Amino acid sequence: MERFLNPALLLLLLMVAILSLGIGILDVEVGSALIDWSSSSLSGEALTREALIVGEIRLPRTLLALIVGAAMGISGAALQGLLRNPLVDPGLIGASQGAALGAALVFYFNLFSGLGALATPIAGLIGAALTLFILMGLSGSMARPAIIIMAGLAISTLSSALLAVVLNFAPNPYAMQELVFWLLGSVSNRGLDNLAVLLPAFVIGSTMLLTQRKLLLGLSLGEQVADSMGLEVTKRGRYIVLGTALLVGSSVAVAGNIGFIGLVVPHLIRPLVGYRPDRLLLPSALVGAIVVLVADMLVRQLPPERELKLGVLTALIGAPFFVWLVWKERQRWL
Amino acid sequence: MALMSIDNLTVEQRLIDACLEIHAGEVLGLIGPNGAGKSTLLNAITGLIPRSGHISLGGQNLERLDSLQRARQIALQPQFIESVWALTVHDIVSMGRLPWGDSDQSIIRAVMQQANITDFADRHVNELSGGERARVWLARVLANQPVLLLVDEPVANLDIHYQQEVMQILVDYARTGHAVVIAIHDLSLAARYCDRLCLMDKGKTVKTDTIEAVLNSEILSPVFNVDVYVDLDNQPPVVLAQ
Repeated sequence: MERFLNPALLLLLLMVAILSLGIGILDVEVGSALIDWSSSSLSGEALTREALIVGEIRLPRTLLALIVGAAMGISGAALQGLLRNPLVDPGLIGASQGAALGAALVFYFNLFSGLGALATPIAGLIGAALTLFILMGLSGSMARPAIIIMAGLAISTLSSALLAVVLNFAPNPYAMQELVFWLLGSVSNRGLDNLAVLLPAFVIGSTMLLTQRKLLLGLSLGEQVADSMGLEVTKRGRYIVLGTALLVGSSVAVAGNIGFIGLVVPHLIRPLVGYRPDRLLLPSALVGAIVVLVADMLVRQLPPERELKLGVLTALIGAPFFVWLVWKERQRWL
Repeated sequence: MALMSIDNLTVEQRLIDACLEIHAGEVLGLIGPNGAGKSTLLNAITGLIPRSGHISLGGQNLERLDSLQRARQIALQPQFIESVWALTVHDIVSMGRLPWGDSDQSIIRAVMQQANITDFADRHVNELSGGERARVWLARVLANQPVLLLVDEPVANLDIHYQQEVMQILVDYARTGHAVVIAIHDLSLAARYCDRLCLMDKGKTVKTDTIEAVLNSEILSPVFNVDVYVDLDNQPPVVLAQ
């Protein structure tokens, strides 16, 4: 059954993605609208209304939801494996708070205004990168995963404090509202140019994680055993932290906080891959993408005047699941 | 020539100028009180902790080997081990092949048979009894097929039946031309199954010799700080605190 898991999930993802392109207030023939859009974009002709809606609004939204979900799913799976703890969220290493702080400074000081809509994601990515450098410096050259997690926690606490300062001294209520809405997490109203930030980070980050599958498997028996098997926990563990930071940082930079995906999705998959941490990565990415896409489709069904942010919905679904996980964990200890 | 020779191996604050020769085909027992440095010595040989001194393996300086080459030749079974995830017995044993980058099923099947765990290959390791689990961990290092197998307290939590079984598996592995080093507290078992013993105390290798030369009350009593009763003529041999 395990053999068919990834192909089946890929097929499901494809179906959900196509559905996501078709769902909206206006009923559109997706296939022909996409063809219209690509040919008009290439030739520079005026877009038809259908082509505009599918190509310029729903396509970026779908692709962003897909990549952000995959990024969160795969980084959660990798980080839980590295730290050998099923209750770890990829936000724990501080990259998401760093990205949020970077992006918030754009709202506040109007930085990078020359970059237009890309100012926020790029500032977010810089914020995530800065947090990561501090993390690496703080955790030191011989960093064990447990130290990394503590350093990450310290840095995300610091970033949160600074973010609170930014919110506290927001220049005007409008800027503050915009910032808060952005932080809540959403993939709407973002152009295809955001992919220029997200896609390279996704490809590099997930490659870094996928190349460390052996380490994740070895770590099942502890750091000492993994080290004795020649897996170089300290050195290779850093690839996982770096990859996760890249994935989470870029996702938050583009879409704000889409929480709980990285925590919850690996749990759903684990029994289906025989609890193997190395086989968990790919299906977690696929299911992460599916869940975020479906959540975004749900959000779109609600009345547009009071938009429910995607990050709020994932938190609403994810948080009770987290409570259930803690409950289940408690049963194990009784 | 010795398979491994260790000269002046030092680990800060824990191991002082340890010297030891390990031969192919033998079971060498590391004995000594708690805190004597037995586990530290095993970890230092495996390269898990910073060390100074000289170790050669098959005439080659150990420092010259990269971590994977080292892991193919030296395997360590730590004292405390558990699987965080509910992996199957077969998955755990297959992990012994990680340093080699393959999953050679003929080796995996053979060691599972040797450790007598074939019957529960598909069960989760966390569901097994302590004795069954000990054999699973052992099968994992056997699947690695190391020339030097280091085992830290393999029988510490086992009943007398499983103690015998595990020790016999280790002896059988040594007899196929490999070297096995066991850190062990049970001196009677050490007398029965080991070929030579290395007595450690306060981070030093005090005496490495035959069973008869090491296991006598004049040597053991001051090190363990208790009167030790030794009867090596009994079958099986008996070494106990009085």
